[in-house]
Amino acid sequence: MGNSVVTINNLVKRFPVGGDFFTALKNVNLSLEKGEFTGLVGPSGSGKTTLLNVIGGLDSPSEGSVTVLKKSLGETSHNERAELRRKNMGFIFQSYNLLPVYTVFENVELPLILNKVDPQERYNKVAQAIEWVGLSDKINSRPAMLSGGECQRTAIARAIVHEPTLVLADEPTANLDAENSHHIMKIMVKLNKELSTSFIFATHDEKIMDYLRRIIHLDDGQIINDEQIDRPKSGS
Amino acid sequence: MLFKIAIKNLLGAKLRTWLNVFVTALSFFMIILFSAMYDGMREHAKQVTIDTEIAGGAYWHPEYDPLDPMTFEDAHSALPGDVQLLVDQKKAFPVLVSQASIYPGGRIMPVIMKGIPPGQNIVNMPTDALSGHDDIAIPVLIGKGMASDTKLNIGDSFTIRWLDTDRTYDADEGTVVHIMDTENFKLDMSHIWIPLKKAQTMLAMEGEGTYVTYEKGLPPVQDKGDWIPRDVKYLIRDMEALIEADEPNAAIMYIILLCFAAMGIFNAQVLSIFRRGREIGTLMALGMTRTRVVGLFTLEGGLNAFLAAIMTVILFGPLLWYFGNNGIWLGVDYSDGAMGIIVEKYLIPVYSVGLVVTTTIIVSIIVLIVSYLPSRRIARMKPTDALRGKVTV
Repeated sequence: MGNSVVTINNLVKRFPVGGDFFTALKNVNLSLEKGEFTGLVGPSGSGKTTLLNVIGGLDSPSEGSVTVLKKSLGETSHNERAELRRKNMGFIFQSYNLLPVYTVFENVELPLILNKVDPQERYNKVAQAIEWVGLSDKINSRPAMLSGGECQRTAIARAIVHEPTLVLADEPTANLDAENSHHIMKIMVKLNKELSTSFIFATHDEKIMDYLRRIIHLDDGQIINDEQIDRPKSGS
Repeated sequence: MLFKIAIKNLLGAKLRTWLNVFVTALSFFMIILFSAMYDGMREHAKQVTIDTEIAGGAYWHPEYDPLDPMTFEDAHSALPGDVQLLVDQKKAFPVLVSQASIYPGGRIMPVIMKGIPPGQNIVNMPTDALSGHDDIAIPVLIGKGMASDTKLNIGDSFTIRWLDTDRTYDADEGTVVHIMDTENFKLDMSHIWIPLKKAQTMLAMEGEGTYVTYEKGLPPVQDKGDWIPRDVKYLIRDMEALIEADEPNAAIMYIILLCFAAMGIFNAQVLSIFRRGREIGTLMALGMTRTRVVGLFTLEGGLNAFLAAIMTVILFGPLLWYFGNNGIWLGVDYSDGAMGIIVEKYLIPVYSVGLVVTTTIIVSIIVLIVSYLPSRRIARMKPTDALRGKVTV
């Protein structure tokens, strides 16, 4: 438990469908350590995104316990979970979810504003994060002016600018071509190495499998295989 | 922090923001203009009555009741000492009132015949048109509405029949010497105006009057006999009562306009939340609490209204100023009194401090409420639904 970032015991997640319930996650048990680079892999509807949302505190478990960064999500309020996400988590979405009216700089700056970081420090951290993802020349561009790869790199910068312990990425390469997918993954591997940030991906994209050091296979809401891959931490 | 984000969101949304702000500003403009027009109409009605009829006030013969023509027969006498002194000093003028009948085009029509000194300049009436007609038996001044009703034109003659002080019917020929275009229908409808001396002679009431109207700013006289002083407040009491009775209508009008403004803002907010569901989810995922997201959207609504207030001043201020100075052409002549109140042809809006302050405060409160109402739905929104853009408001 010392280095554990996520601990899940007997997690069940049900959604109401009509007058009945659909069980999206069935008796999931899982433990993730600090600095892991893990993929939740499986076909559509296997429960990857639901599991990611539960870990991120965006959704609550129907049964079982989920402990993230030593906080039991079942015992925390909405505001406490928001604080946990604000301070310790970063999110990367399939469709980037950048705020369209903000520039690259402003999008990346947002988590720091929410964390009340003072303006000078904020500027330095945003500039550094943008440099990490190689978008220094697009700092004043708006998302509409960026390519898909650039949008996702902006989203990555936004996810890591406040140096969170855990980054949750939902299908981060699904909308990208192979070149951009590899580029994005290399950036995340680099961040994982340099900042010891734990990454959890929900994906069914074969292109990124080579980068993962742990692959958890999900099917029909259950973990069917948990595979550790012996790969140097520097990535592929 | 919220303020900074709200400002960024508003300014970043560019056209969407400015369209919302424009609609809200238009609502502000309409509320202020319509309310000011309403106030202007009422203020103008009072002002016209004072300018054309009341001046500084009047002394009435004790028998005189303008609403009961039967009293006119006995409502005349010589003027009391100090009242006569005012008339001699040209600070007041007497009016002699009697009932009469006229026969324009062979028809009979009961009228109120009023004798007025042609040289008076205390009220705004073209009475000087009555002077210098020695060749005419009875020079008559009528209003446009009366001329229209009787189909009389300048130079037309008709029979006037009246009851003199000896209770004897007399008749003579009156000739229209002028048709006045007055906004005060009370001087117009069923009225004929003739020179005072002629009226006194016709009625055998030499040196007598029914009431005396005096100029503005005069103190009350001591020797007024049994004549009754009537100040401006008393003389416009009917109009005040009419205006007071009209207050609910004004309030309804105001509420309707406010509702339009509120609906505009509410609609803009609902649309904004509906369109920005994914953004709401993203903000929650980034760690913004629901309360803060609600606060952010409410603040954006409030800032929207603030920008609208500025836009109202910049965009519509000159228009309001222009209307305030030059009036708004109504395009309809209400001088026949069909409206029941004096309505000018050019309606000049009156922007009182009370109107602007009250409107600003009320609109601001409403804006905050209608910004908050749709925003609070966010508090019940699941972040995962919001992220998928699944928003119901």
